[in-house]
Amino acid sequence: MPFRPTRRNILRQSAAGFGLLGLRGLLAAAETPNPLAPKAPMFAPHAKRVIFLFMHGGPSSIDTFDPKPRLVADHGKPIPFKRSLTFGEDAVKGLMKPLWEFKQHGQSGTPVSELFPNVATCVDDLCVVRSMVGDGVDHGAALLQLHTGVFSFRRPSMGSWVLQGLGTENQNLPGFITIKPSLGHGGQNNWSSSFLPGEYQGTPIGSSDMKIEEIEKEPMPWLVPKGLTSENQRYELNMIQKMNRVHAERKAHDPDLEARIAAMELAFRMQVEAPQAFDLTKESEATRKLYGLDNETTRDFGWQCLLARRLSERGVRFVQCSHSYKWDQHSELQKLHTKNAAEVDKPIAGLLKDLKSRGLLNDTLVIWGGEFGRTPWAQGADGRDHNPYGYTMWMAGGGTKAGSIYGATDEFGYHSVENRMHIHDLHATVLALMGLDHLRLTHRYAGRDFRLTDVAGEVAKGVFA
Amino acid sequence: MKTVLLFLSTTALLAQTPDPDFFESKVRPILARNCQSCHNADRQSGGLNLSSEAGFHKGADTGPVVVPGAPSQSRLLDVVGYNSDTKMPPSGKLPESDVATLRKWISDGAYWPKDAAPAPAPSTGKKITDADRQWWSFQPVKDPALPSIKNTAWAKTALDRFILAKLEEKHLSPAPPAQKLTLLRRATYDLTGLPPTTEEINAFLADNSPQAFAKVVDRLLASPQYGERWGRHWLDVARFADSTGMDEDHVYPNAWRYRDYVVNAFNADLPFNRFIEQQIAGDLLPAATPEEHQKGITATGFLALGPKPLAQQDRIQMIYDVVDEQIDTTSRAFLGLTLGCARCHDHKFDPLLTRDYYAMAGIYASTLDFRNLGRPGAVSYINSVPLDANAHNAYLAHRWRTTGKMLEMEEASSEDYAREGALRRPKIAAQLTAAWKVHATGAKLEDVAGVDAKEVGAWLKWIDASDQKARESYLKKWFYATAETIDGVAKEYQESFTTAATKWESQLNGWRNRYAVEFAQDRDVAARPKPDAETNPFFATAGFDSGPMALPDSDRVAFLRAEHAALLKSMPPEPALAAAVTENIPVDQHIFLHGDHHSEGAKVDRTFPYVLAGENQMGPKSGSGRLELAHWLASPDNPLPARVMVNRIWQWHFGEALMRTPNNWGKMGDQPANPELLDYLAKRFVENGWSVKAMHRMIMLSSAYQMSAEVSPEAKEVDPANRLISRFNRTRMSVEELRDSVLALSGKIDLKLGGKVEMQSKGKKVELDDLMRRTMYITVRRGSVPALLSNFDFGDATTASEGRARTNVAPQALFVMNSRMVVERAGDFAKRLLDDPALPDDKARIEKAYLMAFARRPDAGEIDTALSYIGSLVKKLPADGSREAAWRSFCHVLVSTNEFLYLD
Repeated sequence: MPFRPTRRNILRQSAAGFGLLGLRGLLAAAETPNPLAPKAPMFAPHAKRVIFLFMHGGPSSIDTFDPKPRLVADHGKPIPFKRSLTFGEDAVKGLMKPLWEFKQHGQSGTPVSELFPNVATCVDDLCVVRSMVGDGVDHGAALLQLHTGVFSFRRPSMGSWVLQGLGTENQNLPGFITIKPSLGHGGQNNWSSSFLPGEYQGTPIGSSDMKIEEIEKEPMPWLVPKGLTSENQRYELNMIQKMNRVHAERKAHDPDLEARIAAMELAFRMQVEAPQAFDLTKESEATRKLYGLDNETTRDFGWQCLLARRLSERGVRFVQCSHSYKWDQHSELQKLHTKNAAEVDKPIAGLLKDLKSRGLLNDTLVIWGGEFGRTPWAQGADGRDHNPYGYTMWMAGGGTKAGSIYGATDEFGYHSVENRMHIHDLHATVLALMGLDHLRLTHRYAGRDFRLTDVAGEVAKGVFA
Repeated sequence: MKTVLLFLSTTALLAQTPDPDFFESKVRPILARNCQSCHNADRQSGGLNLSSEAGFHKGADTGPVVVPGAPSQSRLLDVVGYNSDTKMPPSGKLPESDVATLRKWISDGAYWPKDAAPAPAPSTGKKITDADRQWWSFQPVKDPALPSIKNTAWAKTALDRFILAKLEEKHLSPAPPAQKLTLLRRATYDLTGLPPTTEEINAFLADNSPQAFAKVVDRLLASPQYGERWGRHWLDVARFADSTGMDEDHVYPNAWRYRDYVVNAFNADLPFNRFIEQQIAGDLLPAATPEEHQKGITATGFLALGPKPLAQQDRIQMIYDVVDEQIDTTSRAFLGLTLGCARCHDHKFDPLLTRDYYAMAGIYASTLDFRNLGRPGAVSYINSVPLDANAHNAYLAHRWRTTGKMLEMEEASSEDYAREGALRRPKIAAQLTAAWKVHATGAKLEDVAGVDAKEVGAWLKWIDASDQKARESYLKKWFYATAETIDGVAKEYQESFTTAATKWESQLNGWRNRYAVEFAQDRDVAARPKPDAETNPFFATAGFDSGPMALPDSDRVAFLRAEHAALLKSMPPEPALAAAVTENIPVDQHIFLHGDHHSEGAKVDRTFPYVLAGENQMGPKSGSGRLELAHWLASPDNPLPARVMVNRIWQWHFGEALMRTPNNWGKMGDQPANPELLDYLAKRFVENGWSVKAMHRMIMLSSAYQMSAEVSPEAKEVDPANRLISRFNRTRMSVEELRDSVLALSGKIDLKLGGKVEMQSKGKKVELDDLMRRTMYITVRRGSVPALLSNFDFGDATTASEGRARTNVAPQALFVMNSRMVVERAGDFAKRLLDDPALPDDKARIEKAYLMAFARRPDAGEIDTALSYIGSLVKKLPADGSREAAWRSFCHVLVSTNEFLYLD
């Protein structure tokens, strides 16, 4: 049973026991600038917050959102082009057709394969980017670049940059949350603030190897009191703060000491607010069903998506969900892509519909995709290798052009050939949708200014509504 | 034959398509290295410019140099082949492989990509100027005269005079001396990272001699915990961690040896110049004893333990990314310079040239960091170096023998399997038919003709023992066979078995061959395959273990198996390995244009930055140049290392450095408020044989160190950031100090020095909450730094640290409030107080608790508040154990306060 103190109890406690003693500390803290306070964007934003649905492993674009008739026609034929650096050099076979049928959907007629029947009903809200390009051939490099822009060094994550630019709207929750992230392939580097201030680092909620029940017990480290009940803990905290006040008085109200007094109060408020955000039992049966929480196959990712919505609507700036390390089908593409898609299809559609019905989709940018796509040729009997040279991600809401397709790959779905969207361009575009100029969102470190987009990146105006 | 044809047709296909990769990676480097110094846009010797597409197509004064597709008609090949009057390059004939590359390029069509817009010049052609050399931090360390001061009584030491002079200039007075116990608490944390014990407090209070504090400093410097505390500071600079981080975060199993080396170096007061040399080239330094040599090897963990992208498929890129981070760490740690910035272009601000970068890159590229680059599609392997090469060679020889024996045994066993199988498998059908007759018709085994009764008996025994599942699946056909069908069924079984057995044979042979190759190439070896019970359960069951077709070891195989087992048994444990580097074959390092290893520029010697070491340098005569680098970095003539280190020592004592960007002494760095003091300290440091402990004494016995942390209104106004050192700096404890203090107060702390810390116990992960070792021993995986560390500004252990941030954020408060570790240790702390027979009452317990946590006695009001807190809480809690719980809460309160967390 997760810890759930009631707000009323806490307020009563703090009013009675803490009262004016803490006020001065809070005021002093208000004077020191809070790095997480909401900041005005550089120009009018389309999106206020981001939900990134990360498909770790690399889903195959040509089997999902980017149909290639030429592959059907040339199925089994030798590869007619030169292969660029790829991960696996063994077991390279001939061209392999998509293993699933594509159909056009919605008003827009955007093609989606049978793998995503539920997402297919949302295509009129999607902006499908078919021309993604990255530089990482292996998972680690590709994940790092997708999350931080760079794969050779440790750099701040996209979510950290967004916090640096915009702060966050709810001071009782972290501003950048990553739900069930993978600890492999860069791990923490993918949500670290690196040289940006530590306040901007992502807060992981559990990790990919943990069960939901395990995470719900204590979704963030040290959120649940271990010794006393929460009421007695308030009493304990009052004693601490009383001693801190006397101490600060003796030390000429050193701002550091005052800041710590405020941090203790904030911690206590987080301890109250955060468990409420994580309490999915508050949701109606219909909503839980919409996300597939009633089904073992969809429950895990449904839980992530529903939690993402709850965090987003509470003002968390950047939320990432991870369908972790599932999509790497060097073999058994048919079997495992089917299974993977089944796990996420309904939750994703549920999230999009739920956001839309709550009026949140307009200013919430949803991004879907993996670290790369997969090759048009077969690897071994029934697999595909990594393909960072041309693959698909999609966006929805947050000012993107609903029901559209942006960019294209060549006729084999190998290289991006039209409106290339390098990961740097994606980052520039996401920042632009949020009202931030990637060229001006900089941080000086070790004698030079750094950006999320390194020395590249162009905003893809074509995805804007 | 088929494959050959396919290969030819692919090649033919490729020949028609432009191949920029081949040109950029193979051809352009040859031209760049050998031709472009004369045939470039500026010089155009013979009218030829081979540095651009336009120049190439224009040709020389004599005409085109290449006929695409026709090597024999291309003048370029005649010239480089030394087959014409003109022989190029004049310095010597190209290696045959280069000529072959050019020939292939020409016959493939001599593709040369269109010139892009001119890229920014990788080298601005920047020259080091006198002004560059005049930069303050590059000047020789001076021995400044002691400044004159007014308040001579305050300035106990020479160091104080430098500080006081600056304060007096601004009409500031130094802060008053700190209280005696404040000073004791400060010094104890400073040198050991732990709180003073009540015994130490009482002893210090009782000592009224003028040397009382000096004795404390000596005592603390002699304690083994000193090396842990100061070693940890250095580990921050050395970006120490236990894994490769980056893409796949592989563990460095021997990282702890470097950690121990650092701790021991500080405890032994190893001269810092020696410390520098060992970390760069300890394996190459003369050593008086084998132990000394082993230390030297271990010390190079400094270079070896950085982040590494082991899954990077572009191996050259991977190697140079590692070289890059070694350059970055070396230059920041010892020189306080950001030489890493000169990888793609000359440094934007400082007089550090791309050639300086690649000069050092040449040294590290000639150093071995990888045991094995692995096969394509897999990860590379980190290097581990045996501390005792002879013992390790003996161990390896034993391993080779053991593996050889295993393969010999496997081969013999395979031969048996093939031979025996060929004899026995054709009989399966007849045997199964016979068995069926016995089983289904009740015929007597002896009466069935034409088969070996013993063999049929084995089948029957096995079938009888089969479980229901087997009868309903792979034995079903046999059980349901009739007299009409049994012949066919039995034949089917025989065929199925034979097919599976043939496949198994080839699978096993394949594995054995692969194993031999992988073992020989020092890669991960594949495990012996298991028969696939899923696709053919009949084969996998009947053919192995006690199945009727299982093949018992022949005498020969049994003998070999026993020999192998004996070798395995007598295998010595693997001798100690260190995460370290060794010499590799020296490379001819070229500048990589724009940092891109595909485009090589001029060759550079393995030397040191021009601005510091001058332009007339000789590269190393032999070896990588690491030894020369080590000596240069540790030379007293090099103005930076001593300055950089004394600045760090000051920073770690005072919480703030004198020069406030300790890793950047270039133009973007800080200008120190007191450069004379810096030089004074650096001079004394070298003079005292680079003794770090001597620096501690010099600093800690000064009046400056012993000032109070209270800030006067004047000082706050004139010197808000305390750059003039008008007071001591109040600092928040580091995560190590916080956690170690709580452990110390609980009495549960395990003060064992060094060694490998197992984060697994009895197959289970040891929770950090249950670990009693000091915090510096917690395993740090770069890909998953424990939340405790990352929330408390531990940093990322990826680049040399400039010093920890000291944030005050809610997750830190949550750790103190709600971590199991703090709550449980507070309980232990309370129990210590409650169980102490020397404490007669609660008042005495509270006094002792204050002394332990804050190093001071509480006043009467504080005692009353504490008593009433505990009293009221007892009433609020369930009666059972309420006293213990209330005392636990009180102790929890103490370690949660600012007075505990902050050091004055």
